[in-house]
Amino acid sequence: MMSDRLMADWDERESRLDELFRAYVDACPAPEPGANFMPGIWAGIEAREASRNIFGRMAKTLVTAALATSVILMLLVSIDSDRGFSGTFVQALTADNVSQLEPFHLDRISEMEQQ
Amino acid sequence: MLVDFELIQNAQRGDAAAFNQIVSAYRRRILGTISRLIGRPEDVEDVAQEVFIRLFYSLEQLRTAEVFEPWLYRLTVNASYDYLRKNRRRQESRMADLSEQQVMMADAAAGSRAQSDDFERRRVRDTVADLLSSVSEEDRILLTLKEVEGLSLKELERIYHVNENALKVRLFRARQRVLKNMKEVTGSPAKTAPTGEAE
Repeated sequence: MMSDRLMADWDERESRLDELFRAYVDACPAPEPGANFMPGIWAGIEAREASRNIFGRMAKTLVTAALATSVILMLLVSIDSDRGFSGTFVQALTADNVSQLEPFHLDRISEMEQQ
Repeated sequence: MLVDFELIQNAQRGDAAAFNQIVSAYRRRILGTISRLIGRPEDVEDVAQEVFIRLFYSLEQLRTAEVFEPWLYRLTVNASYDYLRKNRRRQESRMADLSEQQVMMADAAAGSRAQSDDFERRRVRDTVADLLSSVSEEDRILLTLKEVEGLSLKELERIYHVNENALKVRLFRARQRVLKNMKEVTGSPAKTAPTGEAE
């Protein structure tokens, strides 16, 4: 009994909702486009083109700056490496310390053994 | 389709006159759809302009004639959704917020038949807007496209790229939520009847 009443109430709501949706079509008719409708679209397109151009120019400037920085850094690195020793680390150490080291004599070792 | 695919291809190549013709052919339909999707006549033209601007920029991606209309609907749905999301918290004094007495006074003051019709339309718009406020913006748009615009499930499938069963489930749930919200929003049946008939 109770569920029948609930079902009837629900059905009534369903039909009222359908009726409301139908009335909504008449309540929201398609408005006539104003005289500025088309010019407004083109103004919007032009505004976006302008902002795209600004961003494009900014991006180009940034890329150019980054490229210039890379070239300068590469030049600096190559100049620096020309000035320094071009061999391996061991070769550099040997070249630096060889004059300070005494020549290695095998006969001295044999003398030490005899003592 | 309201325009030839050749015209669309011309617009794709940058022909401004061809683009203007496409806009002229579709603007009334798009204005009507947006009007019912957002329920705010004062903002319909702005949203429609946004749709056509988006169309201008995405036109070059279009490959076949069949997808043009579903795709234009998709742009319309997206622009309407963006509008609804932006205006979610906007507080406006609406007729539905007035008391019964104020509504009667406003009605009496309206005087002429035309004003009375406007008032009735506004009341219907506000009632539907309040009912649909119980669902998300996405579901509001989906429900409006199905129930008010009368789009078929096949058409919705092409707009949303979602299979029919998923759409059915979503529509059913959205409608159930609106129905639950109905008594709360509309109050007495006499107030809600769109044609003004008492039950």
